[in-house]
Amino acid sequence: MAKRIVVDPVTRIEGHLRVEVEVENGVVVDAWTKGTMFRGIEKIIQGKDPRDAVYIAERICGVCMASHGWTSAMAVENAHGAILPPAARLIRNLLVGALWLHDHPLHFYHLSALDYLDVLAIAGYQGKDQNLLTVKDKIMKLVEAGDTAPLTPRYEPDDFSIRDPEIVTSALAHYLQALQIQAKAKKMSAILGGKQPHQSSIVVGGVTIYPTDQQLEQFKQLLEEVVDFVKKVYVPDVVFFATGPLLSLAQAGFGAGTGNYLAYGAFPMDDSGREKLFEGGFVSSSQPEKVQQVDLTKITEAVTSSWYQESLPAHPWEGTTEVDLDKSGAYTFVKSPRYNGLSTEVGPLARMTVARHKPFLKLVEEYAIKPGAVARHLARAQETVLVADAMFEWLKDLEHLLKRGKIHNSLRPDIHDSKHWEPPRRGRGVGLNEAPRGALGHWVEIDDHKVKNYQIVVPTTWNVSPRDDQGIPGPIEQALIGIPVDPHNPVNLVRVIRSFDPCLACAVHVISSDGDKMIRI
Amino acid sequence: MKKDQEISHEKGYERLERRGISRRDFLKLCTLSCIAFSLDLGFASKMAEAAAANLTKKPLIWMQGQGCTGCSESLFSSADPEPEQILLDLLSVRFHPTIMAAAGDQAIGSWEHCLEEGNYLLVLEGSIPTADPRFCTVEGRPFLEQFKKAASKAEAVIAVGSCACYGGIPRAGFTGAVGAQDILNGVKVVNIPSCPVKPDRLVGTLLYYLSKNQLPRLDKHGRPLAYYRWTLHDSCHRRLHYERGEFLRDWNDPKTADWCLYYKGCKGKEVFTNCSSYWWNDGVNYCGYSGSPCAGCSQPEFYEQFSPLFDNPKEVK
Repeated sequence: MAKRIVVDPVTRIEGHLRVEVEVENGVVVDAWTKGTMFRGIEKIIQGKDPRDAVYIAERICGVCMASHGWTSAMAVENAHGAILPPAARLIRNLLVGALWLHDHPLHFYHLSALDYLDVLAIAGYQGKDQNLLTVKDKIMKLVEAGDTAPLTPRYEPDDFSIRDPEIVTSALAHYLQALQIQAKAKKMSAILGGKQPHQSSIVVGGVTIYPTDQQLEQFKQLLEEVVDFVKKVYVPDVVFFATGPLLSLAQAGFGAGTGNYLAYGAFPMDDSGREKLFEGGFVSSSQPEKVQQVDLTKITEAVTSSWYQESLPAHPWEGTTEVDLDKSGAYTFVKSPRYNGLSTEVGPLARMTVARHKPFLKLVEEYAIKPGAVARHLARAQETVLVADAMFEWLKDLEHLLKRGKIHNSLRPDIHDSKHWEPPRRGRGVGLNEAPRGALGHWVEIDDHKVKNYQIVVPTTWNVSPRDDQGIPGPIEQALIGIPVDPHNPVNLVRVIRSFDPCLACAVHVISSDGDKMIRI
Repeated sequence: MKKDQEISHEKGYERLERRGISRRDFLKLCTLSCIAFSLDLGFASKMAEAAAANLTKKPLIWMQGQGCTGCSESLFSSADPEPEQILLDLLSVRFHPTIMAAAGDQAIGSWEHCLEEGNYLLVLEGSIPTADPRFCTVEGRPFLEQFKKAASKAEAVIAVGSCACYGGIPRAGFTGAVGAQDILNGVKVVNIPSCPVKPDRLVGTLLYYLSKNQLPRLDKHGRPLAYYRWTLHDSCHRRLHYERGEFLRDWNDPKTADWCLYYKGCKGKEVFTNCSSYWWNDGVNYCGYSGSPCAGCSQPEFYEQFSPLFDNPKEVK
């Protein structure tokens, strides 16, 4: 007899997610992921000045904010016919690169690590490291005061929890250090973006800031400090966990997913936009060795299980967002995007897979790690290094451009395509990009100088998508099926879900009321 | 009586120091808050004493409605105090979906337990849908009801960010999104708008409340006067150019880089906020200094009544 388990709210992710699974003999046999919050951002943008879209889209998500602002700008620029000046491209790369540097470590330490650590094992730390003793002292004082929130309550530590006091104490020290570092990385984005979260300097056609020497110097100092942490603490920690205490999970391919991977590519390395730091591509589970070129016409969205008026699977250009809260059989507001009809994962593992990133592949091969929850953390850490290294190059290129501008005003680089600032009478544009959480696409149609239609397919829509018109479950649903779960301590569910780093604000849904008796855990 | 109080203040400091905050750091923080609230600086030490006695006792519930988690991310970008101090030292964070270890029923259990005990501060991030409760649910129940329940037992309700205060961007949609004050009858709500919330305003307001045990003076829109008394325009570094009729028309033109952004859509003349005098992210920048027009995110009119954001159709008189 299958037992239904519900986790709602799934915490330590962005937004409102409910997960329901059926467990038989200690193994998940079926799963449903349900987003439970809806704002209707696409509808809000309709009818507005297209330049507003960038500002509104930025606020789709407060975690990967500038990725949305940037991608929206790409789409509207495409419709305006605007050309991004080189300096603006570099400033955007740096501003958004800093976002990745705060976002990935934050995901590992603050959103995920507590699932694998028996935090209270810190009491057993017997070492002499002064820094670790301070951390132990701090946590033990919270324990004595009987006030360990928000570190407790928690799921009970299990066989996959790390209990070694030395490792736990060091991980907690890094948890606290990472809190400081992520604030510093946000400061980097603010130096070029006005503020962070929700920078304001990315506008249609370019950026509004022409950085001063002092600002670039300040940016560089913070970059060095943050990258030092990424390379000396974050990446070694993830590699240590993945190839040490969590190796058995990693080798078992725990939380595997669909094996179909999509990336659009991101961070243009030249002005043609053809060469990118992250290459785009598609890999299917039936041909895992072959990286196919992305064909946008193969993207469709089904709404069979979603609270939208029923229609045939459509390309985002033709998509609509007409809400139907009473639709029978629907359980979420997330649509079901499919690539060539396939339920497809996006995000770091997809990016590293389609890019055939050598350091990642080498690690995976050496330790016989299979795609799954642990591999996702590993891929995330590896790609952070790629961004970190590229940041120094972009900064150097930008400094070079700005230095030329000092020789004579005629050599001063543009930061904005002013000729294409005013909205055209008609136009269509698409922006394809990578947010930290995966492939991100914005589609805009302009009519009479206003937005006629706006559609967004965000990373989490791919990953948290529900069953499509063929009844095929989404990637997280599939990743949950087959994993072992203790119905009274379903920590494995959240381990798998969090490895995708879901961000629900964009991927919104409403749930059906079901009369089933459920065990709530 | 007085002696008892002194003893409890002393204990408060001890508690803080046990938690790794030095008295000096804490005084510094309180001094900054005094400046913001235009209090006599001599009050800083009193504020610190009183807040120290209260701080470790004060549980916090942070609820998220129709938001984007940007306000939580903004809180974690706070420079002084640092996020670690806010999360582990200053407050007892009993419920915060983004950071808490617990999930599912355990998380809801923490929330319920906190409600039973009472005497907590309640923070709302994100708006609340009123057109249909199914637009935002937690644990299968309407968020609207859960928030009302938490508010009915809270010591103080603080709405952070434009969505939680006045509905913000979601209000322009069809979910009937409103702010906390629109659904709570007879409960005074402190509004700390902007998109996202500016962390020093939230921390400053919390310290003021904890030390004086009362809410700071609010304006007619429920905002602490300390942060929203003057318009952005009042202390904008581009103001002089506005007076001279000098306006930026092209971001590429170095001659006009510091000129007024009115024709790029700046709403700063009608927006009450101290952004232009107290900058963001440890004071490194703010929208206007980075060349982008104020979108008016701290006003109740935001967003829809300020659209188009990058244009001001009326000519400057």
